[in-house]
Amino acid sequence: MPVAPHYDFAHATAAIIAILALLSGLSLLLVKQVHEQVRAYGAQSVFAAGYTLLVGIDRVDAALIVLAVWTALIKVIVIPVAIDRAVTRQVSEHEVPLVVQVPMSLLIGVTLAGLAYWSASALPIHAALLPTPALGMPLSLVLIGFFFMITRQNVISQIVGLLTLENGVFLATVAIAPGLPFAIGFLLLLDLLPAVVFYGVFARLIAARAKTTSIEDMAVLRG
Amino acid sequence: MAVWLLIMLALPLAATAAGAVIGDRPVSGWLSAAASVGSFAAALVAVFAYDAVRGRHALGSVFFLDGLSGVFLIAVAFVYAVVALYSAGYLLPHIGHVRLRRWYWPLLNLFGLALLATPVLANLGVLWVAVELTTVVSALLVTSEGSDQSLEAGWKYIVIGSAGLAVGLLGIVLVYAAGVPVLGDHYTPTYTTLAHAARHLNPSLVRTGFAFVLVGFGTKVGLVPMHAWLPDAHSEGPSPISAMLSGALLAAALYAVLRIGAIAQITVGPTYVHVLLLVFGALSLLLAALFTLRQTNYKRLLAYSSIEHMGIVSLGIGIGGPVAAYGAFFHVLVHAAGKTLAFFGAGGLLSRYETREADEVRGVIRAAPFTGVMVLLGALAITGVPPFGIFRSELLIVTGGFSHSRYALAGLLVVFANVAFVGVYVVFHRMVLSPGDVTPGDRTRVGRPEQPLMAAAMVLSLVVVLVLGLWIPSPLNRLLHGAVSVIGGRL
Repeated sequence: MPVAPHYDFAHATAAIIAILALLSGLSLLLVKQVHEQVRAYGAQSVFAAGYTLLVGIDRVDAALIVLAVWTALIKVIVIPVAIDRAVTRQVSEHEVPLVVQVPMSLLIGVTLAGLAYWSASALPIHAALLPTPALGMPLSLVLIGFFFMITRQNVISQIVGLLTLENGVFLATVAIAPGLPFAIGFLLLLDLLPAVVFYGVFARLIAARAKTTSIEDMAVLRG
Repeated sequence: MAVWLLIMLALPLAATAAGAVIGDRPVSGWLSAAASVGSFAAALVAVFAYDAVRGRHALGSVFFLDGLSGVFLIAVAFVYAVVALYSAGYLLPHIGHVRLRRWYWPLLNLFGLALLATPVLANLGVLWVAVELTTVVSALLVTSEGSDQSLEAGWKYIVIGSAGLAVGLLGIVLVYAAGVPVLGDHYTPTYTTLAHAARHLNPSLVRTGFAFVLVGFGTKVGLVPMHAWLPDAHSEGPSPISAMLSGALLAAALYAVLRIGAIAQITVGPTYVHVLLLVFGALSLLLAALFTLRQTNYKRLLAYSSIEHMGIVSLGIGIGGPVAAYGAFFHVLVHAAGKTLAFFGAGGLLSRYETREADEVRGVIRAAPFTGVMVLLGALAITGVPPFGIFRSELLIVTGGFSHSRYALAGLLVVFANVAFVGVYVVFHRMVLSPGDVTPGDRTRVGRPEQPLMAAAMVLSLVVVLVLGLWIPSPLNRLLHGAVSVIGGRL
């Protein structure tokens, strides 16, 4: 069974990164403070960039390595800092009211991750470096992102949920379609910037109007 | 063809830059109107002068035009042109309800640019980027009335729309992954590449990918149950933006679904694609028609009508067969014209009566005869009354349903289109024709003459939806047949 040493190392590292990315997604469900949620997103993005870098090195693909660096720059530094500066310092309260309390949130998060792995196992798909089911971890992040968005009545938390969801889709792209042309990957990341800027503008408008980023009162439009 | 497509995209880009520099002055409106009309003309030339029905790439593999993209491109370009024209009047002082005016024109033109790019981009990944761009830009336009409600609507829209599009992207990634064993690791995911290889793609990945695409982009289309953002955004945005969302944005998102659906039906067979479209289409038609019966806000009523019409288009394609599919594509065009007319009329009412509540508007025909007539004709057009185009398209879909032995679905369409007729027409009839006084506190605005640009945009929309109900020009007929052949799975 001749297996190159770097191959084992790469697979083991990828598996560890995948577990850490999943744990960082679940950790979102544990924190109530807005800036801690933004930091949890930053940590999650470190693993997204790390996995991209690992796949890039393993495939000797310069485009993926550049994408990893770009991801780290945008998602680990620029976006968390921008969100922090744009809004969290403007509002007085930083603790997010929870629709579902922490223990139940965590239980639901773990269940969603299990569901994601179970559904992904039905797909005949091979991922770069990851063991099957390849889409388990990315799909888990997508579902956790959705759940987080729905149960956190706060503008910043919803942005973090949306970005977590986006991280899941990004990781799915790197895992199952790492050859997706660099230009598209780059465009997707570029697209994230204006999106975040727009989210930021909205968040500022809401915060400026109500001096809060809570959206509990935004329930006028119904029916 | 490439030159015309580039001109079509360059004009709104230039208008965006000009609007950003010039700011809130009438000249920004004039420039935008000129750019949008120029884009529409360029789109017509690109589609009809170069035999786009056959399916042609342009500028290498950057652009791709065929019957399907041609139909949606014309719908989008027409709506952008009349909306810019209408906006030039609506944004004049003391007319429309737009408080955050500084960025209206740059954002409108950027919105137009992204919408025009969507049906002509060959690369499915870049197509997704264009649709995502429409979300971030139009969400800000939705808030431009500056009210708390518009902020709530904009926020709901951007969060739900972006989440939906993330799911749509996952669908595209799955379809891409389905092609890796056949096309290699580093292929460019254009429609033609994937369609040519479609028979050899991994069917379970394509099946899952299309389901994700339908749910993801379907969120932007406003298909039930992913429609939560739509009634709020359509009702709280300025009326020209509501028209753009309804007539162009929903169509552009539906285009993305159908483009990937065209690949999926080659790989997994048409039944799977049709059934999914039928389920979401029937649900949208049914619920939206019922919701029209309980609306008191006339813009919200039009929003539910948009959901109903997207349901009808999905149903038409889902029924299968060339007649219903032809009717569905024709419906995209006539709905674009009819709904812009209806929203323009609603904008006229809003600027005059300063309320969205239908019960507070009475006797429009006496206070503002032109607006009253237009509003009423718009209501008749979108509810499928002959001789308007929507009657013709719905008749085609029903005929297609019967000829394809889909009696229950055809019956469903007949019943719920009539339910929607009652829901929409009764409200507009009361506002326009019922005797009653005009809003007491606002008599000063009653005698104001119609704004000529707004009136011109309404007349243009009316002419299109009316003429298409009576006559389909042969190049357009050919284009519609071209679209049918794409969704039939042939290249």
